[in-house]
Amino acid sequence: MSIDLQFIYTSFFKILTALPLTLVITIVPLIVGFGIGLVTALIRIYQVPWIHRVAAFYVSFLRGTPMLMHLFLIYYGIPMIIDKLSERYGWAFQSASIPILVFVLIAFSLTAGAYMSEIIRSGILAVDRGQMEAAHAVGMSTSQALRRIVLPQAIGAVLPNLCSMFVGFLHGSTLAFTVSQMDILGKADVVASVSLKFLEAFIAAAVIYWGLTVIAERITALLERRVALYRKGGVS
Amino acid sequence: MGKAFDITLVLDFIPELLRYLHITLIVLGGSIVLGLVGGLLLAVPRLYQIPVLSQLATLYVSFMRGTPILIKLFLVYYGLPELLKPIGIDLSRTDPLVFVIVTYALSDAASFAEIFRGAVRSVDKGQTEAAYAAGMTTFQSFRRIVVPQALILAFPNMANTLIGSLKDTSLAFSIGVMDMVGRGQTLISATSHALEVYISLSVVYYVIVIVLEKGFTLAERRLQRHERKSTVPKPAVRAERLKRIAG
Repeated sequence: MSIDLQFIYTSFFKILTALPLTLVITIVPLIVGFGIGLVTALIRIYQVPWIHRVAAFYVSFLRGTPMLMHLFLIYYGIPMIIDKLSERYGWAFQSASIPILVFVLIAFSLTAGAYMSEIIRSGILAVDRGQMEAAHAVGMSTSQALRRIVLPQAIGAVLPNLCSMFVGFLHGSTLAFTVSQMDILGKADVVASVSLKFLEAFIAAAVIYWGLTVIAERITALLERRVALYRKGGVS
Repeated sequence: MGKAFDITLVLDFIPELLRYLHITLIVLGGSIVLGLVGGLLLAVPRLYQIPVLSQLATLYVSFMRGTPILIKLFLVYYGLPELLKPIGIDLSRTDPLVFVIVTYALSDAASFAEIFRGAVRSVDKGQTEAAYAAGMTTFQSFRRIVVPQALILAFPNMANTLIGSLKDTSLAFSIGVMDMVGRGQTLISATSHALEVYISLSVVYYVIVIVLEKGFTLAERRLQRHERKSTVPKPAVRAERLKRIAG
């Protein structure tokens, strides 16, 4: 077996330059998805007539189909809609002028929204109703009670889920490679194709993802200990 | 070329894609079975704290869970032939399907190991002690007493892993496997109706996932039929019993 260890080392730093794009493709969808998920979760918890069925279908469909399909559906679907509209209303605007990254971010945000909504729903439902009532009883307003009593407990309950979702989306960001984005995997592929050392380049990329995952897990463990401070058992 | 978007094509494409469903299912089935065996082998050293092996298993699980499936696919695709060349095995003509199954099996093994380890830890230690007291060996007690109980506890997580793997099979096309997505790619080249193909694919995946989820819910209920829910009888049962005693 002939593995060029030196090349793994040099390609590691070349591939690392693509880290910012990978982080953008990971973090932006999680932030946007949090907003979508929050709205979806509230719609479903409060059973808003008619819309909650749409929300339930959205969550179930996106969770029931591969992330790659979401990417392709948005990547091929949105330009078609835009070009149709532009043709009908005589806009000068063409979908070709939209960077591909935008489609990637839209697709992954929709995916993240579906998964987030389930996490948020479980977090809100995990906090006992009596907590809110007790806060009201001692004279807190609803927003105070939410901020001081309910949210800290809800965040504690869903933190492990949020971390595994971050890792999941970090790994999912590699799919952007299929629509030729220069993320870590895309860069690794270029480095590999130029030198014809595929295995070495992908080993370097794997090490980068592995490192990021381990860091994310460490941070979660620290945060978990921090948010669980109040959750002391025993009698003293 | 006809209309830019033709919704009727979605229905035409579905049977065309379903003809390649068995490839997707072979990948899924093969990798799950191998993954279960691998997961058990990985979990045991950590459960019994066997030195060296347990550390190696931890490293393996961490690497597999720390890297994206697409990277693992490429690593196996380019790495396995390199690894086997020195011992005289030539993989240059191997069906890419084999690489996909190996990748998903290696990856699933790590997930199953973690699930299984957690489940075994939730089985009361007293069960093992009771088995020893009844004269069973370590292997007998593990196989006859602990594993059956742990499998029930692990079932929901294993079902989730399986559904996740099904969705991951959509990446097999990237190393040239002719599964449903691979067939979809050729349909796109032939008809240039990409959107319709991806809608059909999504529908197919969605239906399979729903069927699997329903099946797992039923199976879970069946697996738990021996579990006693609670020592306190339900009010209706209690009323019935009281009536019988009084009557």
